[in-house]
Amino acid sequence: MADVPSGAAKQLKSVALKSGATVCGIADAAAFDAHAPAKHRPGDLLPGARSVVVVGGAQPREGDWAATSPWVMQTMGTTERIQGVGRRLAQYVESELGYYALYVPPGTASGETPFLSLMLAAQLAGLGSRSLAGPVLNRDHGFMYWSAVITTAPFEPDSAETTPACPASPCREMWDREGTTPCLRTCPSSDGGCLAGKLENGRAVQTFYDAARCHTRVHTHWVGGFQKVLEESLNEPDREKRKMLLYGDFFTRSLWAITYSSTNIAQCFECMRVCPAAHGLKEMK
Amino acid sequence: MTVFKLDPEVYKRYKDEVLKLCNSFQKIDQPGLSDKQIAERLGLDERTVTEIRCVAERDCYSLDEWEKAIEFKRRATLEWSALALKRPDLKPE
Amino acid sequence: MTREEQVKAVGLKAGARVVGIAAVEAFREKVPDGYRPDDILPGARSVVVAGGDGPTAGAWRCPDHRVMEITGYDLRENVAVHAMCDFIEGTLSHKALQAPSLPVHGHEPPMSMMHAAELAGLGTRSLAAHIILNPEYGLLYYAALITTLPLEPDAPLAEPACPHPGCAAMYRRIGTTPCLRVCPACLAGTVQDGRIQTSTYDREKCHSRAQTYGIGSFQKGLLQIVNEDDPARRRTMIYSDFFTKSIQSLGFFRDSIAQCFECMRVCPVGRKYRKLQ
Repeated sequence: MADVPSGAAKQLKSVALKSGATVCGIADAAAFDAHAPAKHRPGDLLPGARSVVVVGGAQPREGDWAATSPWVMQTMGTTERIQGVGRRLAQYVESELGYYALYVPPGTASGETPFLSLMLAAQLAGLGSRSLAGPVLNRDHGFMYWSAVITTAPFEPDSAETTPACPASPCREMWDREGTTPCLRTCPSSDGGCLAGKLENGRAVQTFYDAARCHTRVHTHWVGGFQKVLEESLNEPDREKRKMLLYGDFFTRSLWAITYSSTNIAQCFECMRVCPAAHGLKEMK
Repeated sequence: MTVFKLDPEVYKRYKDEVLKLCNSFQKIDQPGLSDKQIAERLGLDERTVTEIRCVAERDCYSLDEWEKAIEFKRRATLEWSALALKRPDLKPE
Repeated sequence: MTREEQVKAVGLKAGARVVGIAAVEAFREKVPDGYRPDDILPGARSVVVAGGDGPTAGAWRCPDHRVMEITGYDLRENVAVHAMCDFIEGTLSHKALQAPSLPVHGHEPPMSMMHAAELAGLGTRSLAAHIILNPEYGLLYYAALITTLPLEPDAPLAEPACPHPGCAAMYRRIGTTPCLRVCPACLAGTVQDGRIQTSTYDREKCHSRAQTYGIGSFQKGLLQIVNEDDPARRRTMIYSDFFTKSIQSLGFFRDSIAQCFECMRVCPVGRKYRKLQ
């Protein structure tokens, strides 16, 4: 197979940044095999895949993190802005370089399972590393949203990050003092939350994440909530009480969130709000 | 505790009042009250007022009104088109 | 260029038709506690409002009302708000966020874009559902950002866009205006000395027209379905045109944002922009 023209990866990254990405990296498609389950590897989606181009960006602004109204980030999410960049790059690779490119759909293959883990892709592309709270954090830009393009183009891959953003030094100090970190304290699994973990010598050696509980927080008003209310309504013998359920605040909000899903897709950020590595990396008035 | 459920009796008792005080029936330059303000006035908690308002907004008119809406738009669009586009053939029956 | 001109230029380049600025303090007079810009962003100083176009002139001419029900918009005012937020944070190093405007409890949003547009001098309330009419362009759609950046605000308009002189003359002649005549179900009002004297708007009735197929119709249809004991009748309801369109509107939200334009169709404000070849 022919190589990509010299400078093609650099040009691709330049196009990505001009299109609105904050960062762009490339992972070797084969690197996913050691980490991703079968049917969720690049070659399962695009036979002959050689590289995965990953872009990060569209992160919540400092204003969003500072907002005291929870509705800001729950209803005005910015994830969609990076998805457009991914789509554009897929078209670019095909039209300019002549290799197959597949934009990884951000939705789920079934249930909660994605087609390809965008977080794993970001790590393998050298764009960040997993935090105690779960999200992949970039050392310079913190918490971001990701999009990926699988391609048969044989780009030179970038190396994975060697120094993780998490735990940040305030968090290491807090662990030494109090045996916890900001994210673990905000959402502790020991007290009805989603997270647990342990640091040793300034590194995370143990993490726990209750995905099902997190789902009720990140997707409070979403398909799951809709299904729950529907089930309850069907099981409710009293017609007036059924009306209270189907016309009520929770169900109405859930329908809005489903309808305006592109901006309502994420509804809890509390572990990231308190994270010193996730945002606040630039001085803002 | 299951999914939030308003007591139908509480709803029946307060729905008209809540609808009157909120932004459902608007007078220009006279904003309706917030749920918190309505709660203070009616001696209820804010959460209950929100729930009453949400149900009442939806319950205010029956689905018959939606049927009327479909017909209204069909006729109004055609009447305007017949006049403004000078197409008398479009005038609805 | 002043900072105000810079911010507005970014918004206009990104596709807004108009951009205006309001001071956060201006919201105190009429906005209840909890719904003001500084309730949303502590330290907020300014609200920048972008207005974007609605349906094209061609869409207004379609005799089939269903077309405009599902045409939707490109929502450039939201794109403009994002561009301005990026500029304010990236270049001017002040916090900015897109003002939350989607309903979060029933019909109620955390902040009123209509009121923001008024305060930013972009339009005034009209007899037609109290829609904010821009005196030049008529019906526009509004989005806003809240920022800690202090900006010189624009003044609210001194002269109301509504009633249009033609409508005031019509009222003198026959006691009604085009919008009041076309939709007496939702609207009522009086005009005196060329100004709105009274105006009422039945938002719940309007909801059945402006969102005929949407969240509300889905809920109402669903309640009927779950209350129907006969499986055959239930089946016809589930597969009915009405319920199908209601589900579709949930999926294709961008195309179903507003579904009744009859009061605006007959409104003369901004109509010159709808006269093309």
